Amino acid sequence: MNGLQVVWENRAVFLWGAGNTVSLVLGCLLLSLPLGVLGAVVLTEAAAPLRRLLAELVDLLRCVPFLLLAYVVYYGLPELGLRLDSWWAGLVSLTLYTTAYLAEIFRSAFRAVAKDDIEAAQAFGLSRSLLYRRIILPQVAITAAPMIGNQIITTIRDSALLMIITVQELTFAANFVSANHFTPFAPFAAAVGLYLLLSLVVEEGVRRMERVRRLRYG
Amino acid sequence: MAETVPAIAVRGVCKDFGGFEALRDIDLDIAPGTTTCILGPSGSGKSTLLRCLNWLEEPSAGSIRIDGAPIGRIGTGKAARPMDRRALAAARTRIAMVFQHFALWPHLTVLGNVTEAPVHVLGRPRREAEAEGRSILARVGLAEKADMYPHTLSGGQKQRVAISRALAMRPRVILFDEPTSALDPEMVGEVLGVIRELAREGLTMVIVTHEMSFARDVADTIVFMEGGCIREVATPHDFFTAPRTDRAKGFILRGSSTP
Amino acid sequence: MTWPAIRTILDGTVVTAALAAVSILLSLPLGLLIALLRWRRVPVVAGLLATVVSVVRATPFVTLVLFVYFILPSAGLELDPVPAAILALTLNTAAFSSEIWRSALQSFPRDQREAALAFGLSEAGTFTRIVFPQIWRANLGPLVSEVTILLKCTPAVAVIGVVEITRAASRVGAETYEPLPPFLVATLIYTALIAAIVRGQRVLERRIGRRFGAVSP
Repeated sequence: MNGLQVVWENRAVFLWGAGNTVSLVLGCLLLSLPLGVLGAVVLTEAAAPLRRLLAELVDLLRCVPFLLLAYVVYYGLPELGLRLDSWWAGLVSLTLYTTAYLAEIFRSAFRAVAKDDIEAAQAFGLSRSLLYRRIILPQVAITAAPMIGNQIITTIRDSALLMIITVQELTFAANFVSANHFTPFAPFAAAVGLYLLLSLVVEEGVRRMERVRRLRYG
Repeated sequence: MAETVPAIAVRGVCKDFGGFEALRDIDLDIAPGTTTCILGPSGSGKSTLLRCLNWLEEPSAGSIRIDGAPIGRIGTGKAARPMDRRALAAARTRIAMVFQHFALWPHLTVLGNVTEAPVHVLGRPRREAEAEGRSILARVGLAEKADMYPHTLSGGQKQRVAISRALAMRPRVILFDEPTSALDPEMVGEVLGVIRELAREGLTMVIVTHEMSFARDVADTIVFMEGGCIREVATPHDFFTAPRTDRAKGFILRGSSTP
Repeated sequence: MTWPAIRTILDGTVVTAALAAVSILLSLPLGLLIALLRWRRVPVVAGLLATVVSVVRATPFVTLVLFVYFILPSAGLELDPVPAAILALTLNTAAFSSEIWRSALQSFPRDQREAALAFGLSEAGTFTRIVFPQIWRANLGPLVSEVTILLKCTPAVAVIGVVEITRAASRVGAETYEPLPPFLVATLIYTALIAAIVRGQRVLERRIGRRFGAVSP
């Protein structure tokens, strides 16, 4: 049978896989973006013991290959009495991992906000929390957009490893179709095409943020 | 005495930057052993002309000869064809250049900068090139800096290294592209002093500069450019005391009021 | 965990280290070559490479591994798991590192290149003697990051049966019915390897900084 035909006939499998990839990544971002901001605030503001502890934890997570983290979460949570199916275990590990990188991105973006802006805000009597909400975060959301975009693409790429702990995402789907029909090329090419599409969507988002940045900050 | 071949002969050189005519039909002879200063307001095309002389900028039309030998293009008119890269590189070894922002290579020591091209382009033995490099550095007062890296030097010292790098090529001509305009005022003197010394020794030099009193003092010939054209070629005495064109008059007046 | 179990994982460590070393030695020069071809705007080739690079950058590494391993036989090239793994790692890291090299080439100070040309250095001489010695130093940080990213990618080659750290650990887990301890040991090994590389990079950067000043280009 023709490869393209195989892909077309198994389109439901691909859509299911792509749907799982997208829902994992979106779920992960929904959790890890606020957690990353929170982590960055702690990394900048907290007292030394807490700050140092979190810094060590972030550095440690950034040294671990994602697949290993996924394994440890998948096999480790039941030991803690928490039984999760593979999708949820995948979400937990993806979120932990992405949060560590995002915290680091936000932290360096915070540092890049001009001292003048911060001093001006303090001179006008803004509280610490207002300073972050009204002055720092709006700037950071725009200036850090390219870094965040890169991280989202990395997260999409990492999510494919979850096939190994049997999450039925896009690469799992391609592998499944290819193994059942003995036509490797078309299924994997289709998966690569869909990944490319996802990363183009992210890049377009970043480009729009860049346009906003140019309009506002010149 | 038979007429000497000019060190540099520029004929009909034009340079067009996408519709903007930076140089229009330039003719110029530079006599060997002389110092020529090119003066003119910014945007007059003086740096472009200098960069055409060693083909860093490719003229849209016209020809340039160094000691009678063509550079960049061989033949004239319709028969003209570009030189191959190797021949161009060889031709460039006869014209050294000193850049406005020094353009030292930061990964090489001071001596490394000076010996890089003599060893790797001219193929001189390293030992010989290093000995000569050290003696040149001593001449410009930098003997003790030979083994330092450029980032440790002041602007004036960097430019003196750049001049040493040019001298080490034993070139026929040295081109200077605004050699003091990136320097702090207190360092201008040391660099001009070195150039003045070289002029006295009879090197052939072409200097684009804004330093009017220096030009008056050191040049054998002043070339005044404006709007992409050469407006005047004169001795410093004639140029500064009796400029022939109104534009030159205006330029000299403005130049003496603003340093 | 028993001694033979730890032995299995240590053997896997040797395989991981060898895979990473070979792939780095192949991919960094390949990335540089890609960057040079794109930078010089070699017709057709530059455009083709740009497409390949963006496809590889968007493709998850594990997908690339499966792609290389399952597709090449249908093109008549039967590869064992280890060469297939090296090929996939090399492609991946070459694509990412080519972007580092390319931005280094684009931001290289123009006047330094001009000075080299003005002194009669050839294009090749300018690259090997002036440009390259500086860009590798200036981009040591990002390039070493690529090495650590490559190490973090290696577990994915377990899917095609290469017995490196991760696959060794899952074997041990399957034999003992206790998957968690071997995976924790494996995690520890990766962390140690990567932390060692990052430490080495810091030392090297400090040395280069002392000698050449702040690395700017």
